[in-house]
Amino acid sequence: MTERLQLAIPSKGRLMEQSIEVLGEGGVTVRKTGNERGYRGEIEGIDNVEVLFVSASEVAWYLKTGKAHLGITGTDLIHERMTDWETRVEIIKPLGFGHADVVVAVPDCWLDVRKVAHLDELAGSFRNAHGRWFRVATKYVNLARQFFVGHGFNDYRIVESLGATEGTPAAGTADLIVDITTTGTTLRANALRVLDDGIILKSQANLIASNAADWTPRIREAQNEINSRLGV
Amino acid sequence: MVAETAREFEALEAQAQTLMATFASAGHEPVAPAALQPADVYLDVIGEALRARCYVFTDPDGDEYCLRPDLTVPICRLHLERHADGAQKAKYCYNGSAFRFQPRGANAAHPREFRQCGIESIGSSDRELNDANTLAIMLEALKAAGLNDWTLRIGDLGLFRALLSAIDMPERWRERLRHQLWRPQAFREELVRLTELPAAQSSAMPEELMQALDPEDVEGAQRHVAQYLDQNHVELIGVRTLEEISRNLARIAADQRAERLPVATANLIEGYIGVNAPARAAGARVKDLMRDTGVDISPALESYHKRLQLLADLGVDVTRAEFSAEFGRSLEYYTGFVFEVSVPDLGKRSPVAGGGRYDGLMKLCGAPADVPAVGGAIHTERLLKAVRG
Repeated sequence: MTERLQLAIPSKGRLMEQSIEVLGEGGVTVRKTGNERGYRGEIEGIDNVEVLFVSASEVAWYLKTGKAHLGITGTDLIHERMTDWETRVEIIKPLGFGHADVVVAVPDCWLDVRKVAHLDELAGSFRNAHGRWFRVATKYVNLARQFFVGHGFNDYRIVESLGATEGTPAAGTADLIVDITTTGTTLRANALRVLDDGIILKSQANLIASNAADWTPRIREAQNEINSRLGV
Repeated sequence: MVAETAREFEALEAQAQTLMATFASAGHEPVAPAALQPADVYLDVIGEALRARCYVFTDPDGDEYCLRPDLTVPICRLHLERHADGAQKAKYCYNGSAFRFQPRGANAAHPREFRQCGIESIGSSDRELNDANTLAIMLEALKAAGLNDWTLRIGDLGLFRALLSAIDMPERWRERLRHQLWRPQAFREELVRLTELPAAQSSAMPEELMQALDPEDVEGAQRHVAQYLDQNHVELIGVRTLEEISRNLARIAADQRAERLPVATANLIEGYIGVNAPARAAGARVKDLMRDTGVDISPALESYHKRLQLLADLGVDVTRAEFSAEFGRSLEYYTGFVFEVSVPDLGKRSPVAGGGRYDGLMKLCGAPADVPAVGGAIHTERLLKAVRG
């Protein structure tokens, strides 16, 4: 491998725009190299840095495996993709955008369910009535499991859902969901309500360093330059 | 010493032969149940502690399977394949791989893949005798493999269940406490909740509606709830019906009006949970706790003492056994006697053998009714390490 610091940032949408914007405000100006639709870039004035544009969830994987030295991604994905994230990565700086909560939401009409403990009390009679455990639709399988274990709620099965999770209770394919929400509008539109104690994680975008990457002195130098420009 | 590296293959094989020979001569039939288990059946019955540590995957057909995290459930399923009603008497022994995800990273004492060697005794209703036999055979096998220096921890979920049944309280509360039995922390919280003022419990539920609900009048409750949903523009979605929601709300409303659990009763339960004593003295300690409370659990206590006596008759040194009332609450399928054999070198967090009674598991696996069953398993890599010193 070349001795270049690999910086992974989201490749699409608002997350990409804001990542480039926040880095730019600190004097770390990202420029795409080659084709405008390409997935590589560089940073003005620091020549041994390569910018990789990858999907937000892949950034977490790049950091976990050490394919990238630095990366920008949400706390939610870091916690979801690494059970032992504290040992694998280091959060250098919260970036103040991409704010969202990972929450447990149930149908609003479940007046008898305000807290996780109520789900637990209800699990037995739900199973008697419907012949199965509660189904929880989510793409945050690990976060959901850890959270429910901590609350002593165990009688459910996870249904992995990679899109339109909020629609699953109304469609009957799941009973409740664990999902990310910013304003709650989508949840309300789908007749769902966040449990009183149902906030699993408050997430935002962070600049993160990988402990698994190969940190040569030259690469460490590049990181120090980035850090100092960003005022870390 | 980790099975996944197969470095100790020959030593483990030789040791397994010794263990299996002891089990076979005690009348246990050697069997080899499937390592690959359908996830649905399995995950439903093993309880959360193991579920979170299960390797689950989807095969190319889209069906979910798991690698067995222990061999007891596979043995139950094997027994059911042979005898559909499950009640047939049988004694099995096995030696095979089990797989567990290690959240804090795998190491020699906590490998991802290890071999369990053990016995199960299914269908015999002489519970105390089978409990005692199982433990005695396990200790004999450990001895044959060269292990003499051990400590023994025992527990008895039968005592705990008897206590909950004997205490006077509404059936609904009893169900809730039984439900939380497996989660010591949640159990304590539930206990505190039952002694507290109802207002603290469900303040977030609409008060006016709650007051209007009568658990004896489900139709009326349904009308009230429907009206409330309508007025607040809340759409009824999901598989739970208006009746289910109303029924449960009315039950919660009834709970709010019920008398609280007396603090003395909660203390009695806490007192029981706190009992840790040498096996023989523990029975007397529990009896002392119950004195003047009007709570009578003497049949369960008699069964506890009978089992100890049978163990002594079988040559087990019961003075080396410690009783712990808390013990056994981490594995959800145990229903009665539980035991764990540790060695000083490896520590209590890494027992070399353990087991217990699981009368409800066969039914969970598909038998038409509960079937008495008891078993035990040896963590063979740890045993090998223990005997080598």
